[in-house]
Amino acid sequence: MSIIKVENIFKSFGNYNAVNDISFKVEAGKIFGMLGPNGAGKTTTIRMITNIIFPDKGNIFIKDQIAGPTHQNIIAYLPEERGLYKKLKVIEQLIYFAQLKGISKQTALDRAKYWLHKMGAAGWENKKIQELSKGMQQKVQFISTMLHDPEIIILDEPFSGFDPINTELLKSIIIEMKDAGKTIILSTHVMEQVEQLCDDIILINKGKAVLSGDVRNIKKSYGKDTIVLEFDGDDSFIQNLPNCRIISRTQNRIEFKLEDNTVSSKQILSTIMETAEIYSFAKVEPSLHEIFIEVVAHENMKKEN
Amino acid sequence: MNTKSKIWTIISHEYLSRVKSKGFIIGTILAPLGFLAIIGISVLVTVMSKEDTSKKLAIVDKTNLIGAKIVALDTSKYFITDLPVETLKKQILDGTSDGFFLIPADFMDNGKAEVYTGGGGGIGYVEALENNSEEILIREKLYQLNADPTIIKIVERGVSIDQKKVTIEGEKEDFTQIYAVLGYILGFAIYGLMFAYGAMVMRGVIEEKANRIIEVIASSASPFQIMMGKVLGIGMVGLTQVLFWLLLGGIVLASGGTIASMFITPDPALTQGMAGQSNPNEMINMLNQINISPGIIIGFIYYFLIGYFIYSSLFAAVGSAVDQEQDAAQLQMPITIPIIIPILFITNIMANPDGTLATVLSLIPFFTPILMIVRIAATSVPAWQIILSVVLTIGTFFLCLWVASKIYRVGILMYGKKPSFKDLAKWFIMAK
Repeated sequence: MSIIKVENIFKSFGNYNAVNDISFKVEAGKIFGMLGPNGAGKTTTIRMITNIIFPDKGNIFIKDQIAGPTHQNIIAYLPEERGLYKKLKVIEQLIYFAQLKGISKQTALDRAKYWLHKMGAAGWENKKIQELSKGMQQKVQFISTMLHDPEIIILDEPFSGFDPINTELLKSIIIEMKDAGKTIILSTHVMEQVEQLCDDIILINKGKAVLSGDVRNIKKSYGKDTIVLEFDGDDSFIQNLPNCRIISRTQNRIEFKLEDNTVSSKQILSTIMETAEIYSFAKVEPSLHEIFIEVVAHENMKKEN
Repeated sequence: MNTKSKIWTIISHEYLSRVKSKGFIIGTILAPLGFLAIIGISVLVTVMSKEDTSKKLAIVDKTNLIGAKIVALDTSKYFITDLPVETLKKQILDGTSDGFFLIPADFMDNGKAEVYTGGGGGIGYVEALENNSEEILIREKLYQLNADPTIIKIVERGVSIDQKKVTIEGEKEDFTQIYAVLGYILGFAIYGLMFAYGAMVMRGVIEEKANRIIEVIASSASPFQIMMGKVLGIGMVGLTQVLFWLLLGGIVLASGGTIASMFITPDPALTQGMAGQSNPNEMINMLNQINISPGIIIGFIYYFLIGYFIYSSLFAAVGSAVDQEQDAAQLQMPITIPIIIPILFITNIMANPDGTLATVLSLIPFFTPILMIVRIAATSVPAWQIILSVVLTIGTFFLCLWVASKIYRVGILMYGKKPSFKDLAKWFIMAK
């Protein structure tokens, strides 16, 4: 069942077309990744779903109803740019945001305590926001979006500003939410996280959807011809490989693709062994990172021609 | 889900977070104390400067008439001396004398005299000396010329005109001047309050935008609810403060006579010296008799609130347009100018509250809040004008609110370049 249906929406600001005919569906109880380069129209799309702005054309349905102010209370939105009242106490801040979502003060208070404890922030209630570090503020911000027990959770770059430990904590909470039946929209530039968390994705570029669907199917459709190599020694073998496109390259690891797929693995391996020692060699599905770059580069080239 | 409860949540947040702050509590209590202190100090200064000239002057009287009478006015300041002028001059140089007043023999004819001191001491004592000797000179001259005693009396007393106001209950003492001054104070108070609270709204909007709070709130409530909630919440803060001050003012006025008489001891000599001018006794008397009608108080509250609403919605629009307070200066101009203009006319209107200028200006909705209260306090404004002003200001408020909310809706999500008036116009058209 799709909980959100976006049908042919358009939004322009003056002469600038921020969103140009986008359609997609978000399935209930799944994690939906919204990807795209900066300025692609992701935030504008999210703002239309959260009823902050309205489409010029097209419709957004939430639970089969035209999206409107009534849906704001079942949606949680964590914007990319975070903001809290600096002079308020943590607990006052949390209660105010929860009350704005239609939650009573007492319920908000109980849930705030629960979440502060869960996020390792117990005892912060009476601290002023301005006394908190950036990472602590991010936690408070995240908690503030959760107190009304939302059905739909929209997270825009939720991991930014978190250290690795808190990133893992947040990931586990997101998965916990999904298990509890919540629908999550995740917008991020970190493709690894998308691969780890998302069921479906949409890739937006210049206001248009350029790719969408199930993450696994998308990767499958790109075939198993990406080579991941771990090695020791000189990487000059790359110049000897015909039509080699490097996707990522570090000291001892290289991810690449040969445009000419008639070259056999044996030929490739022997070329490499001339200069380096191989630790591992694998033909894999492309990473989302690769797909992202390929699709966006391709689209941008198409536009220029 | 429930728009009423959302806007109420915003109102109570805006209200409580401000009213509970230390700044507000201290400001509310200290402002009247400051006001009283200023009045108190100016009264004290006046009283002290009248009473005290530290100089004690010797009087050398060649007329053998005037000198003794001056000394009789105040023996603590003057004394007659027979010493020669040269000796007196030496005494000044020695520091044994403050100075001396030399009345020449022909003083009675040309009124010219000289005072010698070691310099300094201000001009207060000279003024006192001039007044005292002039009074005596005139009186003595009239006696010399055998003038009619009634003329002497008139000269001594001066002219005083009492203002009486005809009302249904009969004649009353009329304190027109006092009421005009009251209007002036109330007009200025509204001016200050509109500015202070308008700016508070603007700062609140900028805070939410600059700290990126607005996007979070906008995903919970509509921009109109957010703006209205802020305007109403802060308006209630203003109302709280005004009501507190009015209550305090009421208490002070009710017991004003008593309090004033505690501070100012009526001094007959002093009263005599300032004949005809305002003196403490008269002030106490007036404080006891002035009665501020409920009309003035209701008018003050109404015009403060409507003025605040008109301007604060516009301040909110300006706040929504900028990313930081420093950028707001230019965009504020069209709002601050109409607030300041009435202040330029306030004295004229005080002087002639029934004139055409007063009537016309006080009916221009942007000027009404400040100018109408001046007129209401100073004169009896015809009912139709008051009703018209209420209709016009409410209409203007809705117009401003409509324009402001359209700009606000777009402005709060616009970051980056500093907007121009052209941008605001674009946003206004852009907003549905």
